[in-house]
Amino acid sequence: MKYSYTKVRKKNVFSSELQLLFSFFSITLFMLFLTYLFLVFKDYRFTQNTQEIVKKLAVLEEGINNMKAQITFIEKEVLLCERVNTKNTVLKDSIANLFDLVPQRITLSQASLLKNGLILYGITPNKDIYNFMLQAPLRSIFHKTYSSFYPAPNGWLKFVSTNYIDEDELTLESPAIKKQEEESDDEN
Amino acid sequence: MKINISRQNIYLLSLSIFLFLFVLLFSFLVLIPKGKEYREERNLLNKDRIELRRYQKFSDSTLDKLKQLQSENARIITAFDNSFNSDRFEKHHSSSFTSLNLSKKVALEDVDEFAVYEVNTTSSINSPQSFYEFLDAVNKGDWIIGINFPINFKRDSELITSSFTMKVYNSQKKSDK
Repeated sequence: MKYSYTKVRKKNVFSSELQLLFSFFSITLFMLFLTYLFLVFKDYRFTQNTQEIVKKLAVLEEGINNMKAQITFIEKEVLLCERVNTKNTVLKDSIANLFDLVPQRITLSQASLLKNGLILYGITPNKDIYNFMLQAPLRSIFHKTYSSFYPAPNGWLKFVSTNYIDEDELTLESPAIKKQEEESDDEN
Repeated sequence: MKINISRQNIYLLSLSIFLFLFVLLFSFLVLIPKGKEYREERNLLNKDRIELRRYQKFSDSTLDKLKQLQSENARIITAFDNSFNSDRFEKHHSSSFTSLNLSKKVALEDVDEFAVYEVNTTSSINSPQSFYEFLDAVNKGDWIIGINFPINFKRDSELITSSFTMKVYNSQKKSDK
Protein backbone atom coordinates (compact mmCIF):
# COMPACT_ATOMS: atom_id res chain seq x y z
CA MET A 1 0.00 0.00 0.00
CA LYS A 2 1.33 3.34 -1.02
CA TYR A 3 1.40 6.24 1.41
CA SER A 4 3.06 8.78 -0.91
CA TYR A 5 2.93 9.72 -4.53
CA THR A 6 6.63 10.56 -4.78
CA LYS A 7 9.06 7.84 -5.59
CA VAL A 8 11.87 6.83 -3.28
CA ARG A 9 15.08 8.57 -4.12
CA LYS A 10 18.01 6.21 -4.05
CA LYS A 11 20.86 7.60 -2.01
CA ASN A 12 24.34 7.09 -3.47
CA VAL A 13 27.73 7.63 -1.75
CA PHE A 14 29.03 9.27 -4.97
CA SER A 15 26.63 12.02 -5.49
CA SER A 16 26.52 13.88 -8.80
CA GLU A 17 28.38 16.84 -7.22
CA LEU A 18 31.09 14.57 -5.98
CA GLN A 19 31.39 12.91 -9.35
CA LEU A 20 31.70 16.31 -11.00
CA LEU A 21 34.34 17.31 -8.47
CA PHE A 22 36.32 14.10 -8.97
CA SER A 23 36.20 14.32 -12.75
CA PHE A 24 37.35 17.96 -12.66
CA PHE A 25 40.25 17.31 -10.29
CA SER A 26 41.24 14.02 -11.88
CA ILE A 27 41.55 15.75 -15.30
CA THR A 28 43.48 18.62 -13.70
CA LEU A 29 45.83 16.30 -11.82
CA PHE A 30 46.29 14.08 -14.88
CA MET A 31 47.34 17.10 -16.93
CA LEU A 32 49.67 18.31 -14.18
CA PHE A 33 51.36 14.91 -13.82
CA LEU A 34 51.58 14.56 -17.58
CA THR A 35 53.34 17.95 -17.78
CA TYR A 36 55.64 16.94 -14.96
CA LEU A 37 56.51 13.65 -16.67
CA PHE A 38 57.13 15.53 -19.92
CA LEU A 39 59.52 17.89 -18.11
CA VAL A 40 61.34 15.01 -16.39
CA PHE A 41 61.71 13.16 -19.70
CA LYS A 42 62.96 16.28 -21.47
CA ASP A 43 65.38 16.95 -18.67
CA TYR A 44 66.76 13.43 -19.05
CA ARG A 45 67.07 13.87 -22.83
CA PHE A 46 68.83 17.22 -22.38
CA THR A 47 71.32 15.65 -19.99
CA GLN A 48 71.97 12.87 -22.50
CA ASN A 49 72.38 15.36 -25.38
CA THR A 50 74.70 17.54 -23.31
CA GLN A 51 76.86 14.51 -22.51
CA GLU A 52 76.97 13.59 -26.22
CA ILE A 53 77.92 17.15 -27.13
CA VAL A 54 80.66 17.20 -24.48
CA LYS A 55 82.05 13.93 -25.91
CA LYS A 56 81.89 15.29 -29.47
CA LEU A 57 83.60 18.50 -28.35
CA ALA A 58 86.39 16.52 -26.72
CA VAL A 59 86.87 14.44 -29.90
CA LEU A 60 86.82 17.58 -32.06
CA GLU A 61 89.27 19.38 -29.78
CA GLU A 62 91.66 16.44 -29.90
CA GLY A 63 91.33 16.35 -33.70
CA ILE A 64 91.94 20.11 -33.96
CA ASN A 65 95.01 19.90 -31.70
CA ASN A 66 96.32 16.98 -33.75
CA MET A 67 95.77 18.88 -37.01
CA LYS A 68 97.39 22.02 -35.57
CA ALA A 69 100.44 19.96 -34.57
CA GLN A 70 100.60 18.53 -38.10
CA ILE A 71 100.31 22.01 -39.62
CA THR A 72 103.11 23.31 -37.38
CA PHE A 73 105.29 20.33 -38.29
CA ILE A 74 104.67 20.80 -42.04
CA GLU A 75 105.46 24.51 -41.72
CA LYS A 76 108.71 23.59 -39.96
CA GLU A 77 109.51 21.10 -42.74
CA VAL A 78 108.84 23.71 -45.43
CA LEU A 79 110.97 26.28 -43.61
CA LEU A 80 113.88 23.88 -43.17
CA CYS A 81 113.61 22.74 -46.79
CA GLU A 82 113.63 26.34 -48.02
CA ARG A 83 116.65 27.09 -45.84
CA VAL A 84 118.55 24.04 -47.15
CA ASN A 85 117.60 24.80 -50.76
CA THR A 86 118.70 28.43 -50.40
CA LYS A 87 121.99 27.27 -48.90
CA ASN A 88 122.56 24.90 -51.83
CA THR A 89 121.73 27.65 -54.34
CA VAL A 90 124.08 30.11 -52.61
CA LEU A 91 126.76 27.42 -52.63
CA LYS A 92 126.25 26.85 -56.35
CA ASP A 93 126.58 30.60 -57.02
CA SER A 94 129.70 30.78 -54.83
CA ILE A 95 131.39 27.94 -56.73
CA ALA A 96 130.36 29.49 -60.06
CA ASN A 97 131.80 32.84 -58.94
CA LEU A 98 135.02 31.15 -57.85
CA PHE A 99 135.58 29.47 -61.20
CA ASP A 100 134.66 32.71 -63.03
CA LEU A 101 137.20 34.54 -60.90
CA VAL A 102 140.13 32.45 -62.12
CA PRO A 103 141.62 33.93 -65.32
CA GLN A 104 142.33 31.70 -68.30
CA ARG A 105 146.12 32.10 -67.99
CA ILE A 106 146.12 30.64 -64.47
CA THR A 107 145.39 26.96 -64.05
CA LEU A 108 143.99 25.63 -60.79
CA SER A 109 145.06 22.19 -59.62
CA GLN A 110 143.10 22.14 -56.40
CA ALA A 111 140.48 24.27 -54.64
CA SER A 112 139.17 23.88 -51.10
CA LEU A 113 136.08 25.83 -50.16
CA LEU A 114 135.88 26.25 -46.40
CA LYS A 115 133.16 27.75 -44.27
CA ASN A 116 135.11 30.98 -43.79
CA GLY A 117 137.80 30.70 -46.44
CA LEU A 118 139.19 29.43 -49.67
CA ILE A 119 142.45 27.63 -50.43
CA LEU A 120 143.60 27.54 -54.02
CA TYR A 121 146.47 25.54 -55.50
CA GLY A 122 147.54 26.25 -59.07
CA ILE A 123 150.11 27.28 -61.57
CA THR A 124 150.72 30.75 -62.96
CA PRO A 125 153.11 31.99 -65.71
CA ASN A 126 154.49 34.65 -63.38
CA LYS A 127 153.80 36.53 -60.16
CA ASP A 128 152.44 39.64 -61.87
CA ILE A 129 149.65 37.80 -63.62
CA TYR A 130 148.75 36.13 -60.34
CA ASN A 131 148.89 39.41 -58.38
CA PHE A 132 146.83 41.44 -60.85
CA MET A 133 144.41 38.88 -62.15
CA LEU A 134 143.73 36.63 -59.18
CA GLN A 135 145.02 38.10 -55.96
CA ALA A 136 143.43 41.52 -56.51
CA PRO A 137 139.87 40.18 -56.77
CA LEU A 138 140.55 37.72 -53.92
CA ARG A 139 141.71 40.59 -51.70
CA SER A 140 138.47 42.45 -52.40
CA ILE A 141 136.46 39.47 -51.18
CA PHE A 142 138.54 38.10 -48.29
CA HIS A 143 139.97 39.91 -45.30
CA LYS A 144 143.17 37.88 -45.04
CA THR A 145 145.02 36.62 -48.10
CA TYR A 146 148.30 34.74 -47.98
CA SER A 147 150.17 33.54 -51.05
CA SER A 148 153.23 31.40 -51.41
CA PHE A 149 155.06 30.48 -54.61
CA TYR A 150 157.49 27.79 -55.59
CA PRO A 151 158.95 27.08 -59.03
CA ALA A 152 157.40 24.49 -61.35
CA PRO A 153 159.57 22.28 -63.60
CA ASN A 154 158.40 24.13 -66.78
CA GLY A 155 159.58 27.53 -65.48
CA TRP A 156 156.13 28.67 -64.32
CA LEU A 157 155.26 29.22 -60.69
CA LYS A 158 153.17 26.98 -58.54
CA PHE A 159 151.17 28.89 -55.95
CA VAL A 160 149.12 28.29 -52.82
CA SER A 161 146.62 31.01 -52.03
CA THR A 162 145.01 30.92 -48.59
CA ASN A 163 142.14 33.34 -48.06
CA TYR A 164 140.04 33.86 -44.98
CA ILE A 165 137.06 35.98 -44.06
CA ASP A 166 137.51 37.52 -40.65
CA GLU A 167 134.27 36.67 -38.90
CA ASP A 168 134.67 39.53 -36.37
CA GLU A 169 135.00 42.08 -39.16
CA LEU A 170 132.08 40.49 -40.96
CA THR A 171 130.03 41.09 -37.83
CA LEU A 172 131.05 44.75 -37.79
CA GLU A 173 130.25 45.16 -41.47
CA SER A 174 126.86 43.56 -41.34
CA PRO A 175 125.61 43.31 -37.76
CA ALA A 176 122.02 42.92 -38.92
CA ILE A 177 122.83 39.84 -40.99
CA LYS A 178 124.85 38.31 -38.15
CA LYS A 179 122.03 39.03 -35.71
CA GLN A 180 119.56 37.29 -38.04
CA GLU A 181 121.87 34.28 -38.30
CA GLU A 182 122.19 34.11 -34.51
CA GLU A 183 118.43 34.30 -34.13
CA SER A 184 117.95 31.48 -36.60
CA ASP A 185 120.58 29.44 -34.74
CA ASP A 186 118.75 30.08 -31.47
CA GLU A 187 115.50 28.92 -33.03
CA ASN A 188 117.23 25.68 -34.03
CA MET B 1 19.93 34.08 10.47
CA LYS B 2 21.01 30.54 10.57
CA ILE B 3 22.93 29.06 7.63
CA ASN B 4 22.00 25.51 7.17
CA ILE B 5 24.74 23.53 5.40
CA SER B 6 24.40 19.85 5.12
CA ARG B 7 27.16 17.54 6.27
CA GLN B 8 27.59 16.21 2.76
CA ASN B 9 28.22 19.69 1.44
CA ILE B 10 30.81 20.30 4.15
CA TYR B 11 32.63 17.11 3.09
CA LEU B 12 32.41 18.22 -0.50
CA LEU B 13 33.76 21.64 0.27
CA SER B 14 36.61 20.25 2.38
CA LEU B 15 37.60 17.84 -0.37
CA SER B 16 37.49 20.62 -2.95
CA ILE B 17 39.68 22.86 -0.81
CA PHE B 18 42.10 20.00 -0.17
CA LEU B 19 42.42 19.10 -3.84
CA PHE B 20 42.69 22.76 -4.81
CA LEU B 21 45.47 23.24 -2.30
CA PHE B 22 47.22 20.12 -3.59
CA VAL B 23 47.03 21.43 -7.16
CA LEU B 24 48.37 24.81 -6.07
CA LEU B 25 51.21 23.35 -3.99
CA PHE B 26 52.16 20.84 -6.70
CA SER B 27 52.19 23.60 -9.30
CA PHE B 28 54.21 26.10 -7.31
CA LEU B 29 56.58 23.76 -5.50
CA VAL B 30 57.23 21.14 -8.15
CA LEU B 31 56.00 22.01 -11.62
CA ILE B 32 57.13 25.63 -11.90
CA PRO B 33 60.70 24.97 -10.57
CA LYS B 34 60.93 21.98 -12.92
CA GLY B 35 59.73 24.19 -15.79
CA LYS B 36 62.40 26.74 -14.94
CA GLU B 37 65.01 24.00 -14.83
CA TYR B 38 63.78 22.74 -18.20
CA ARG B 39 64.12 26.21 -19.73
CA GLU B 40 67.62 26.65 -18.31
CA GLU B 41 68.67 23.22 -19.56
CA ARG B 42 67.24 24.03 -22.99
CA ASN B 43 69.19 27.29 -23.15
CA LEU B 44 72.33 25.52 -22.00
CA LEU B 45 71.86 22.83 -24.64
CA ASN B 46 71.37 25.47 -27.32
CA LYS B 47 74.57 27.17 -26.21
CA ASP B 48 76.38 23.83 -26.33
CA ARG B 49 74.99 23.18 -29.81
CA ILE B 50 76.23 26.58 -31.00
CA GLU B 51 79.63 25.81 -29.46
CA LEU B 52 79.67 22.41 -31.17
CA ARG B 53 78.81 24.00 -34.54
CA ARG B 54 81.60 26.56 -33.98
CA TYR B 55 84.06 23.76 -33.18
CA GLN B 56 82.93 21.76 -36.22
CA LYS B 57 83.36 24.82 -38.45
CA PHE B 58 86.82 25.48 -37.00
CA SER B 59 87.74 21.80 -37.35
CA ASP B 60 86.62 21.85 -41.00
CA SER B 61 88.62 25.00 -41.75
CA THR B 62 91.70 23.54 -39.98
CA LEU B 63 91.31 20.33 -41.98
CA ASP B 64 91.05 22.36 -45.22
CA LYS B 65 94.20 24.26 -44.28
CA LEU B 66 96.02 21.00 -43.47
CA LYS B 67 94.91 19.38 -46.76
CA GLN B 68 95.97 22.47 -48.69
CA LEU B 69 99.39 22.50 -46.98
CA GLN B 70 99.79 18.77 -47.60
CA SER B 71 98.89 19.08 -51.30
CA GLU B 72 101.06 22.19 -51.81
CA ASN B 73 104.09 20.64 -50.10
CA ALA B 74 103.61 16.99 -50.98
CA ARG B 75 107.14 16.68 -52.38
CA ILE B 76 108.74 18.19 -49.29
CA ILE B 77 106.70 16.00 -46.91
CA THR B 78 107.53 12.84 -48.88
CA ALA B 79 111.20 13.88 -49.07
CA PHE B 80 111.35 14.26 -45.28
CA ASP B 81 109.62 10.91 -44.79
CA ASN B 82 111.92 9.06 -47.20
CA SER B 83 114.73 7.15 -45.58
CA PHE B 84 118.06 7.89 -47.27
CA ASN B 85 119.17 5.14 -49.63
CA SER B 86 122.72 5.38 -50.98
CA ASP B 87 122.08 3.10 -53.96
CA ARG B 88 119.03 5.07 -55.04
CA PHE B 89 120.89 8.35 -54.57
CA GLU B 90 123.80 7.12 -56.72
CA LYS B 91 121.34 5.92 -59.36
CA HIS B 92 119.48 9.27 -59.38
CA HIS B 93 122.58 11.45 -59.63
CA SER B 94 124.94 9.21 -61.60
CA SER B 95 124.25 11.28 -64.73
CA SER B 96 125.93 14.34 -63.14
CA PHE B 97 129.11 12.43 -62.21
CA THR B 98 131.64 10.21 -63.91
CA SER B 99 131.94 8.30 -60.64
CA LEU B 100 130.16 8.74 -57.33
CA ASN B 101 130.93 7.07 -54.02
CA LEU B 102 129.07 7.58 -50.76
CA SER B 103 130.22 6.69 -47.28
CA LYS B 104 127.93 5.09 -44.73
CA LYS B 105 125.57 7.61 -43.17
CA VAL B 106 126.45 8.82 -39.69
CA ALA B 107 123.78 10.11 -37.32
CA LEU B 108 124.32 13.67 -36.07
CA GLU B 109 122.54 15.67 -33.40
CA ASP B 110 118.85 16.28 -34.14
CA VAL B 111 117.78 19.68 -35.45
CA ASP B 112 114.36 20.54 -34.00
CA GLU B 113 112.35 17.37 -34.49
CA PHE B 114 114.40 16.20 -37.47
CA ALA B 115 116.99 13.47 -37.51
CA VAL B 116 120.18 14.54 -39.31
CA TYR B 117 122.62 12.21 -41.00
CA GLU B 118 125.97 13.02 -42.55
CA VAL B 119 127.20 11.31 -45.68
CA ASN B 120 130.69 11.85 -47.08
CA THR B 121 130.86 11.89 -50.84
CA THR B 122 133.71 11.52 -53.30
CA SER B 123 133.05 11.95 -56.97
CA SER B 124 134.56 12.73 -60.33
CA ILE B 125 133.10 15.31 -62.68
CA ASN B 126 133.90 16.43 -66.20
CA SER B 127 133.30 20.13 -65.57
CA PRO B 128 131.98 22.43 -62.84
CA GLN B 129 128.73 22.58 -64.83
CA SER B 130 128.04 18.97 -63.82
CA PHE B 131 128.35 20.00 -60.18
CA TYR B 132 125.90 22.88 -60.68
CA GLU B 133 123.45 20.47 -62.28
CA PHE B 134 123.90 18.13 -59.31
CA LEU B 135 123.14 20.97 -56.86
CA ASP B 136 119.99 21.86 -58.81
CA ALA B 137 118.94 18.21 -58.89
CA VAL B 138 119.52 17.83 -55.13
CA ASN B 139 117.03 20.62 -54.46
CA LYS B 140 114.38 18.75 -56.45
CA GLY B 141 115.36 15.27 -55.28
CA ASP B 142 113.73 12.59 -53.16
CA TRP B 143 115.46 13.68 -49.94
CA ILE B 144 116.18 16.94 -48.16
CA ILE B 145 119.93 17.28 -48.56
CA GLY B 146 122.19 20.18 -47.74
CA ILE B 147 125.70 20.26 -49.22
CA ASN B 148 128.21 21.32 -46.61
CA PHE B 149 131.65 22.83 -46.42
CA PRO B 150 134.44 21.90 -46.83
CA ILE B 151 134.23 21.14 -50.54
CA ASN B 152 137.40 20.06 -52.26
CA PHE B 153 138.01 20.07 -55.99
CA LYS B 154 141.19 18.48 -57.32
CA ARG B 155 142.29 18.29 -60.92
CA ASP B 156 142.94 14.71 -61.98
CA SER B 157 144.05 14.79 -65.67
CA GLU B 158 140.83 15.48 -67.61
CA LEU B 159 138.52 15.04 -64.64
CA ILE B 160 137.87 16.97 -61.44
CA THR B 161 137.76 14.93 -58.26
CA SER B 162 135.42 16.45 -55.73
CA SER B 163 134.78 15.55 -52.12
CA PHE B 164 132.14 17.05 -49.88
CA THR B 165 129.78 16.19 -47.05
CA MET B 166 126.01 16.10 -47.30
CA LYS B 167 123.54 16.54 -44.47
CA VAL B 168 120.38 14.49 -44.92
CA TYR B 169 117.33 15.69 -42.95
CA ASN B 170 114.67 13.20 -42.01
CA SER B 171 111.40 13.59 -40.14
CA GLN B 172 111.47 10.04 -38.79
CA LYS B 173 113.03 9.45 -35.42
CA LYS B 174 116.22 7.41 -35.27
CA SER B 175 114.50 4.75 -33.19
CA ASP B 176 111.97 4.19 -35.99
CA LYS B 177 114.69 3.19 -38.42
